[in-house]
Amino acid sequence: MPRPVYIHAAAALGPHGDITRMERRALNGDPPPLELKERVKEIVGVPLRQASHLVELAAVGSQLCLKRLPYPAPENTAVYLGTGLAEVRKNEAVFRQVMPPGPGLASPFDFINAANNMAAFYVAKLGNFRARNLTVTQEEFSFEWALHLAAADLRAGEYRQVLIGGVDENSHPRIGHLRRIALRDDQPMGEGSGWLVLSAAAERACGELIEVKHVARGTEPVQTLRDAVRIWRRPEEPLTLLPGLRIEAAEVEQLAAALPGLRVQDYLGFCGGYHTAAAFGIAALFDAPAAPGLFLHLNRDSSGRTMLCAVRVFQP
Amino acid sequence: MAAIRIRGLGLVSSYGIGVARAVEGMRAGRTGITPLTLFSLPFQDRIQVNQFDHAPFPPGAACTTTIVETAIQEALAEAQFDNTGLRDAALVLGTSSFLFAGEADYRHTLATTGQAVMPPLEPPGQVALRVARDLGIDGPVLTLTTACSSSANALLVATGLLRRGEVRRALVIGVEGLSVAALSGFHSLMLLDPQGCRPFDAQRSGLQIGEAVGAVLLETDDAAHGGDFLLGGANLCDIHHTTSASPDGSTMRATMEMALVDAGLEPADVSLIKAHGTGSLDNDTAEAAAMRALFGADLPPFTGIKRYLGHTLGACGAVELAALLGCLRAGFVPPTAGFTQPDAALRIAPLTEARPAPAGPVMLNFFGFGGNYASLLIAHA
Repeated sequence: MPRPVYIHAAAALGPHGDITRMERRALNGDPPPLELKERVKEIVGVPLRQASHLVELAAVGSQLCLKRLPYPAPENTAVYLGTGLAEVRKNEAVFRQVMPPGPGLASPFDFINAANNMAAFYVAKLGNFRARNLTVTQEEFSFEWALHLAAADLRAGEYRQVLIGGVDENSHPRIGHLRRIALRDDQPMGEGSGWLVLSAAAERACGELIEVKHVARGTEPVQTLRDAVRIWRRPEEPLTLLPGLRIEAAEVEQLAAALPGLRVQDYLGFCGGYHTAAAFGIAALFDAPAAPGLFLHLNRDSSGRTMLCAVRVFQP
Repeated sequence: MAAIRIRGLGLVSSYGIGVARAVEGMRAGRTGITPLTLFSLPFQDRIQVNQFDHAPFPPGAACTTTIVETAIQEALAEAQFDNTGLRDAALVLGTSSFLFAGEADYRHTLATTGQAVMPPLEPPGQVALRVARDLGIDGPVLTLTTACSSSANALLVATGLLRRGEVRRALVIGVEGLSVAALSGFHSLMLLDPQGCRPFDAQRSGLQIGEAVGAVLLETDDAAHGGDFLLGGANLCDIHHTTSASPDGSTMRATMEMALVDAGLEPADVSLIKAHGTGSLDNDTAEAAAMRALFGADLPPFTGIKRYLGHTLGACGAVELAALLGCLRAGFVPPTAGFTQPDAALRIAPLTEARPAPAGPVMLNFFGFGGNYASLLIAHA
């Protein structure tokens, strides 16, 4: 069994600018464009004048997570960021500037901000982290793979602490956005930023990342969940499934029927559909007051691959 | 810890299809600079680029997947594998972005329909998924986007997957195409040298952008069998500035140092350095400071190869590894094309003459925007 990786802090920024359980609101349509200047002032504390919206999302989420950490994060904290669409608004802005009938030259600031790793740079700069810094952009599994790599670093002893997030922005209008990410008609397009501080130390942990697993093709999801429950669930421990972006309602029903006692928590109803929504869903489990238990996040990508993420929320 | 053997290399560059074409050009001292014909730019006569021949490939966005698969087939042929050997392999791709593919799509649509239609600018992870599907890869598929260190980081991530025993084989791809966006952006930042890349030269004034695809097939293996090996590496973040390095080169030095530790080596073990050597004032100043600080008086010979291949941005990790290792296998170290006049402020100078390939470990450095740095160490048999 893999060595445990502990969660020391978490923060989820939702599409309304929501950061606490009290502020979370279910979406009943696409959220309006999110203005983050006030949140940046309140949480980051320094203006991010030329930063993109994606950078703002990443900065607010990561800094909030660090503020919730009960001790200062060391300089040697690695940063992993997952993002499915990355700097989609800035890339589109640069495209429109340089392609006909645009003016033909790129704005220097837009060009710099269109770099897909700029959000991870700002996260490191604001945290004063001079360590590993990786941006993973693998659609629905951007966050899961970033989490997998982060956990592997901790388990290998390469780092004692990691800041890991999943961040994506939406773009307007919806019809344009849907050319980049497939969403059902009834599925609001979301955006957000979910962050975890992971550590090898058990002391002061609020939870545990048990495993992030790439499920072999041909393995039935129900079998994957049964195995997870058999190995990891403690007696009487509440068990909850977090269905990811590509897990359809019919499959959720089937899984719930096959696993007695399984609760289902629909976090997508609060953050909307985006590639790294899993980061929001998992980080929001730690919104105070957190409900302890074993949480299994199941997701799939457009090629039919499946990944499972198992998290335990400790009794506060 | 299992050794990681480099089983196969593939390259599509401005020299043509295949590692051998690039090696041949570099041995002859020919740069791969070409005319820019893919599109036109208002400052076209003031830049140098490396464009590959697009004739063998389909037009539009489909071009990218075909070129990637061409490079992969070369790597598989060297390893004497067919696609079935990749079923449980990992595919790790590095690129700065696929904006160039969106542009290609736009130009193709405009040319064939007369309609200027904004392309979807699809997610960066799409190409890796398509390639994995085409090759029947069921293992992990990841895309890294960390600017100019993207595919060097892809090599590091693949190394981790192999060392941990998550996979036995990993195919690492670096891909970058010429784009109006990148050339215009670097032009706006006044970072393109009208005379092309002149690494570490006193008159250097910027980059020479190129396009290329590199493929590196890695496999865990017993080091006793001989061959070429990826010994290890490191990635660190320089938080000094979004686009420029700490002038004292401290984070570059730390990255190289960590890479040596990861590979179980000392500075004195390094026989050659392939510098990042972009030809920009900032990069080369910081990189020279870093090399001086780490190696002191025992600085091994170093070379820069971006005038040959162009700065292929996110692809340069895999592309320059494939090209340099190709040269080493052919028995030589390419000199630093574009370097003619030492910069007294740097206090060091790169190789100006080809020399025989050394026997010891070789360091390869890659430093990108967003302070994203990677350093790799390889051993050549």
